[in-house]
Amino acid sequence: MQSAQPAVHVSDLRKTFEVPVREGGLRAAVASLVRREHRQVHAVDGISFDIAPGEVVGFLGPNGAGKTTTLKMLAGLLYPTSGELSVVGHLPSRRESEFLRRITMVMGNRNQLQWDLPALDSFELMRAIYRLHPDDFRRARDEYIELLELGGLVNKPVRNLSLGERMKVEICAALLHQPDVLFLDEPTLGLDVTMQKRIRSFIAEYNRRHGATVLLTSHYMADVQALCKRAIVIHHGRILYDGELARLGAQFNATKTIEVTLRDGAADLTPYGEVLSAEDGVVQLRVNRFDAPSVTARLLRDQPVEDLTVVDPPIEDVIDSVFAEARDLRQSEAP
Amino acid sequence: MNELQYRANFFVQLFQSLIALATGLAVIALVFGHTEQLNGWNHAELLAVMGVHIAMGGLIGTLIQPNMMRLAQEVRDGKLDFALTKPADAQLLASLREVRIWRLVDVAIGGVVLAAALGQLGVAPSLGGGLAFAATIVLGGLMIYCFWLILTTFAFWIVRIDEIAELFDGIYQSGRWPVGVYPGWLRISLTFLVPIAFAVTVPAEALTGRLTIETFLLAAGFAVLLFAFTRWWWRFGLRRYSGASA
Amino acid sequence: MSGAAGTSPPAAGRPRLIGAWRGLLDVYVENARLALNEQFQYRVANYFYMIGMIAEPVIYLVVWTTIAEQQGGSVGGISSAQFAAYYIVWTLVRSMNIVFTPYGWEWRIREGELSAALLRPIFPIVSDLGFFIGWKVVVIVLWLPLAALLALLFRPELSPTLLEICVFAVAIWGAYLIRSLNQSSIGMVTFWTTRVGPFFELYMTVELLLSGRLVPMSLMPDWVQTIAGLLPFYWTFGFPIEALVADLPADRLLGGLAMQLFWIIVGAIVLRLVWRVAIRRYSAVGG
Repeated sequence: MQSAQPAVHVSDLRKTFEVPVREGGLRAAVASLVRREHRQVHAVDGISFDIAPGEVVGFLGPNGAGKTTTLKMLAGLLYPTSGELSVVGHLPSRRESEFLRRITMVMGNRNQLQWDLPALDSFELMRAIYRLHPDDFRRARDEYIELLELGGLVNKPVRNLSLGERMKVEICAALLHQPDVLFLDEPTLGLDVTMQKRIRSFIAEYNRRHGATVLLTSHYMADVQALCKRAIVIHHGRILYDGELARLGAQFNATKTIEVTLRDGAADLTPYGEVLSAEDGVVQLRVNRFDAPSVTARLLRDQPVEDLTVVDPPIEDVIDSVFAEARDLRQSEAP
Repeated sequence: MNELQYRANFFVQLFQSLIALATGLAVIALVFGHTEQLNGWNHAELLAVMGVHIAMGGLIGTLIQPNMMRLAQEVRDGKLDFALTKPADAQLLASLREVRIWRLVDVAIGGVVLAAALGQLGVAPSLGGGLAFAATIVLGGLMIYCFWLILTTFAFWIVRIDEIAELFDGIYQSGRWPVGVYPGWLRISLTFLVPIAFAVTVPAEALTGRLTIETFLLAAGFAVLLFAFTRWWWRFGLRRYSGASA
Repeated sequence: MSGAAGTSPPAAGRPRLIGAWRGLLDVYVENARLALNEQFQYRVANYFYMIGMIAEPVIYLVVWTTIAEQQGGSVGGISSAQFAAYYIVWTLVRSMNIVFTPYGWEWRIREGELSAALLRPIFPIVSDLGFFIGWKVVVIVLWLPLAALLALLFRPELSPTLLEICVFAVAIWGAYLIRSLNQSSIGMVTFWTTRVGPFFELYMTVELLLSGRLVPMSLMPDWVQTIAGLLPFYWTFGFPIEALVADLPADRLLGGLAMQLFWIIVGAIVLRLVWRVAIRRYSAVGG
């Protein structure tokens, strides 16, 4: 039933943008002799991967890493600068009708439904656009309404829904044509925890029932952990890590940062861990994740602590450490 | 707003104003292809009306409209803080904060058209005429300002101000022609309801020597009345507003 | 495989599709229905807009009526009452030919709605056309009382024949299509520049003078009328009005519809070409 071909095939994909430099010169709307300078931004800098049908893959990376750009190229919204690209056997930029019918893209915070009307009305429009047989359409719609627990929400004008409810309804609309490939770009952005869980379980269920391939980008680790077995870490347009999430999970959150405010100003806390910064009586300490509780206890016992917080390091730091690890890994695996 | 954007705005404004000017001239040419005079105004005099119309439009766009739009926005967002401390000064401040300098292009163009019109008439205006012109421009501008402020204070209660601005622009087009061409009820509306007549026709009359003492006194009197009413209405609205959000 | 109680999972494989032409019709119908529901909620805003729109023809009407009265009742063979008829019908034609402007395209790109539209297997223009059709139905209904009021105030002279009414009913939709297609093509300029304003204002000015929007074209000098005959503008404004108001002979009426069809075809071809280029540009530069 499922072909042996990968659902998504990417080989040495690149995307370079020319960004105008806005120094000097007139930017008059009427054509004038303007020499605009440009600089090149390599948003995607040679990435390659294959995704089998039915896989759920998470793209991780900080903002500007190239995740969204990659997804847009896979959806056909952007032309690659170079490289090979195919999704369910089609070249996305051709935007063939057959291709568009098999994919869907959900971008967090983007409104695809009619604002002043109930979602049900917008669903009918989807039915028309995708030329769905009314019975198939109704069955899918009712199934999703039940799975997402939408109930009466579909009868209320979309503008009257909360952000989370709107997201659920948008996802419902995006899947009415039962696509085989889902591109989800930050689908849980700005939602509360319960809503995030609801949406994650729906996506997982859809994947189970339809065997759909799911590509998910997020900078919430929790999204990816809940749904994906495989993670691809992208930074500066390049893949840093492509493999089992479980292994990455052990590397993530390897450290914690303890921020200590001391009552009488500076003190030397180097015995406790790596001092990242010490200014105005506020010291940032990096410690191993497993040591954090004991270090915290010692600090509270031995130092005049006024305030103390324990935070996860920002994802940039984590990626940096992954980068270092991946480089070591490759070196250690080299013949 | 940085310098680049200012320059871009200037060029765009110049382009659009020149197009509007060309259109206006084409229309007048068309009208005078079919007649010698319109309601007693000849070609040159109609050019004068157009000149005043454009210049006054420039003033409205430079000073009056931007301030009123900003005021309405702040009322909608509940940001009218400064008004709650010094109501007396608030009106002045709210009316003069914003200046869209590039709209002065229209004042310049209007001035040029006026000069051309006077040249065509072959008459230099007398000192009295010039003073009367200046006075009526001030009065007319004042009345338009009052009209706008009254309209904007409705933002204290309801209405969307952007649609009102479009509506005003449409109605302001009526000032392209001397107000005498409009039938009775319309003429009265365009004089006392929306003071276009006082803003455009009357100053044009002053410059072309048609202004009568009665009209001038009417303009002065109505301006004073309107200004007083506006002031009262503003403070009324302000009290309602501060009462509501306190 | 677990499933929610009471529902069975949909059939494995792709969902069935209905025929392409039937599907296209459905898209128009559904878009129109959405527009109808939505715009009816906005009837106050619509009325506000229409009232503002009336200022323009009333000003023109007053000026030409004044000239007509001065010249003993008519100008260029058109009486005051006929001017009134022209400009009142003008308000309906104008309402019908308001379409999705280039500014709308600017907004659409800025808000990211264009990307969403590009993910779907139909052209955005098809959705736009369908949507506006539904909107026009609401507009026509709202216009009727307004027209009655204007007729009361300005006393037009109007006695159309059945043929004229039929041609008019078709011509207003023809006008809508031509203007939609043309302004969509212009809207594509927004893919290259963020300020479409100046180009568009220039276009609108030419249209103002050459379409019959300003005055009945017969009042324009001959050379202007010749140029206007070569362009589509007259068929979006002057022709529909005159079909109802100007007592045109049958061959002019039907010939006019044929001309509208011609310009619709031209407009569609141009749009198709421009769209292809524009999409390439959009996809190269990024949404």
